[in-house]
Amino acid sequence: MDAALEAEGLVKRYGQRTAVQDLSFRVPAGSIYGVLGPNGAGKSSTLRMLVGVLRPTAGRISVLGGPANRETMKRVGYLPEERGLYRGMSARSAIAYLARLKGTPGNVAFKRADKLLTDHGLGKVRRKKIKTMSKGMAQKVQVLAALAHEPELIIFDEPFSGLDPVNQRVLEETIRAQAAAGRTILFSTHVMEHAERLCDRILLIAQGKAAFEGTVRDALALAPSLAVLETDGDYDLGPVLAPLGFQWTEELGEHGNRRWRVRLENGHGSRQLLQACVEASAPLSLFEPARASLHEAFVALVGDKVAVSAAE
Amino acid sequence: MSPILLVARRDYFAYMGAWGFWLSLLTAPLIIGVLLFGPILLARAEPPRVLTIVAERSTDADAVRAAFEASALRDARGGISAYLGAAAPQVQAEAIAAFDAAPNREAAIAAARAVVTERAPNVLTAYPSLSPRYQIVDPPAAQIEAMRPYLDGTRTLPDGRSIYGALHLRRDAAGAPVIEYWSTALNHDEPTNVAHRAMRLEMQREALAAQGLAPSEAERLQAFDPQIVQFDPRSSGSQGVTLRERAPFFAALALAFILWSIVFSVANMLLNGVIEEKSNKILDTLLTSVSPMQILIGKLLGVAAVSATLFLFWGALGGTLLTIAAERASDNIFGQIAEAFLDPRLLVAFFIGFVAGYLMYGAIFLALGSLCESVQDAQTLLGPVALVLAMPMMLITPALDNPNAPIIEAASWIPIFTPFLMLIRAPSGLAWTEIAGQSALMFATVVVILYLASLVFKAGVVDQVSLSSWRGRKTKG
Repeated sequence: MDAALEAEGLVKRYGQRTAVQDLSFRVPAGSIYGVLGPNGAGKSSTLRMLVGVLRPTAGRISVLGGPANRETMKRVGYLPEERGLYRGMSARSAIAYLARLKGTPGNVAFKRADKLLTDHGLGKVRRKKIKTMSKGMAQKVQVLAALAHEPELIIFDEPFSGLDPVNQRVLEETIRAQAAAGRTILFSTHVMEHAERLCDRILLIAQGKAAFEGTVRDALALAPSLAVLETDGDYDLGPVLAPLGFQWTEELGEHGNRRWRVRLENGHGSRQLLQACVEASAPLSLFEPARASLHEAFVALVGDKVAVSAAE
Repeated sequence: MSPILLVARRDYFAYMGAWGFWLSLLTAPLIIGVLLFGPILLARAEPPRVLTIVAERSTDADAVRAAFEASALRDARGGISAYLGAAAPQVQAEAIAAFDAAPNREAAIAAARAVVTERAPNVLTAYPSLSPRYQIVDPPAAQIEAMRPYLDGTRTLPDGRSIYGALHLRRDAAGAPVIEYWSTALNHDEPTNVAHRAMRLEMQREALAAQGLAPSEAERLQAFDPQIVQFDPRSSGSQGVTLRERAPFFAALALAFILWSIVFSVANMLLNGVIEEKSNKILDTLLTSVSPMQILIGKLLGVAAVSATLFLFWGALGGTLLTIAAERASDNIFGQIAEAFLDPRLLVAFFIGFVAGYLMYGAIFLALGSLCESVQDAQTLLGPVALVLAMPMMLITPALDNPNAPIIEAASWIPIFTPFLMLIRAPSGLAWTEIAGQSALMFATVVVILYLASLVFKAGVVDQVSLSSWRGRKTKG
């Protein structure tokens, strides 16, 4: 498969601080590609370099087979992390204006703006000024503005942040629809679940460096197996797990029970875990193997400390 | 449409859609008119200031009273002479002779008016209505201490008027006059100057009388007064300088202030526009389609188009009014100043000054705006910048006094001062070659400033360099 985007040895330094360090990846054409990592990992710097807003300190970028210049960018749609539109403009004018800057003729730009707004349930407010819209609605308008010139490659920086769960799902559908139309989509997020649901391939970044690049399945395979347990009442499973070296996270179960997600690693399997629970007469109401999440894969790849400190 | 024009177009319509634009469009001519003619109208509309004299010796009071009457007579003569010099020079000498022959001020004004009525009736409508600056009234109390309530505004005269000031004339132990001036207008010393001159003459008269000179002879000696006529060596006529010749300097002064205000108003629009875009977080979106230089030029063009719209409206309105005034009221001060505004040299200097001044200061303000995250940031930057921007204004008064002083000539070649000084110097016969040379230097500077501004702008909008980041670095360091 051809690459819609290729980066090789990307480095970005701000003075003494290195934001991105020796990053290389390839985004296949027609795929949905996720750039993942906690806040401050270097995702936005990477994306700003990809769209030519930021000049890399070192490295090479190829976008749609050419350099990341403004001519190539006419075929790229970009939603920056720091979002904003002209507050005094109407939704349709804002979309059409940005499409025209990308080379779309005026009349076509306005027609597409109207159609996009109507298709996404904003037809009635298309003449409303941005300043009178809710934050979520304005964000939807900006997403549509990134699509109005019908780009071949779409780059979204943290597109889900600021959206409520319903609109997050709507945006996921939009991304899927764009991919179904043959476009390549690259987006960054610090919420792994979105990537897990959408992406064909992912790039995990921590502290400016690539921790993993590949398919979601490959990433998940690197994560340890899990067992999910639920205990009745207030029973604390910690004293049972800790002496055996298990690592776990605790959450609330469906029926108010305590739920434990226990990592099965370092030679400790489900049999040892069950045996320990039985020996401790733990009041188990659930014991089942579980699939690791992308977040757990990330933690496994970069370690707890890095994941937590980066997130902070 | 090119990205530059799209940026310019968007900015243009954004400003056109703002109510502030229409407010400026409609109110600015009114404000400029008030600023231009307000002081003249105010001076004319002000009623005479009421003064009173309390004196130990009646001769002192009479001398000072006479001095005020003489001053009012001189003012009236000057006003009528200036008006006739501009409006009907052919009857000036005759009318002034009639004025001088009259026994008192009112009769003198009427006599001169009679000459104008007979010899130049077409300019009679503009005959100045002259009222004296001061009116001397009898003191409401015999002692100055008892007059305090009248002077501090607690009491008024029986006819309702307030007393502006009181002159207390007394003699010291040696018999020398002492002038005390009582008034709440602490910064106004004209009444004391008039009284001072009068009492000096009175002291001279007393000294001359002591030497045995007859009072009439002493009075004749004191009345010697040379005539002053000012000539412009560039003019071939034998007439002295009148308001008509001075009017271009007033017009240049007014245009320089207008230019300064407009350049910085529109430069401020650019500054606020960039700050708004930075705070709206839209620049990252734009930068994938437009280069920083294209945004900079687009914004300059957009606001230039806004200025052009303002000028078209104001120019049409002002040009029409000035043309009407110049044609129909050429016999009075308004008509002659209006005519001076239409001088091609002034208009060319104004146009060039605006274009170059706007581009220079606009680019600087855009660059500054790109370094600011908020209006508060801009205010901290604009403090020192405002001091630099005030410098041309400080040079305007000395330039008006002596347009060809070496320091003014040198300063007018400094591009950031040129737009304003070129205007001020234009009426003094600034050569077209000098206008061309200074314009060329200004536009070369515009190119350099635009280049430097684009570098700063790029650092501000692309690399996110800002005052806050500098402050942050300093704090961390």
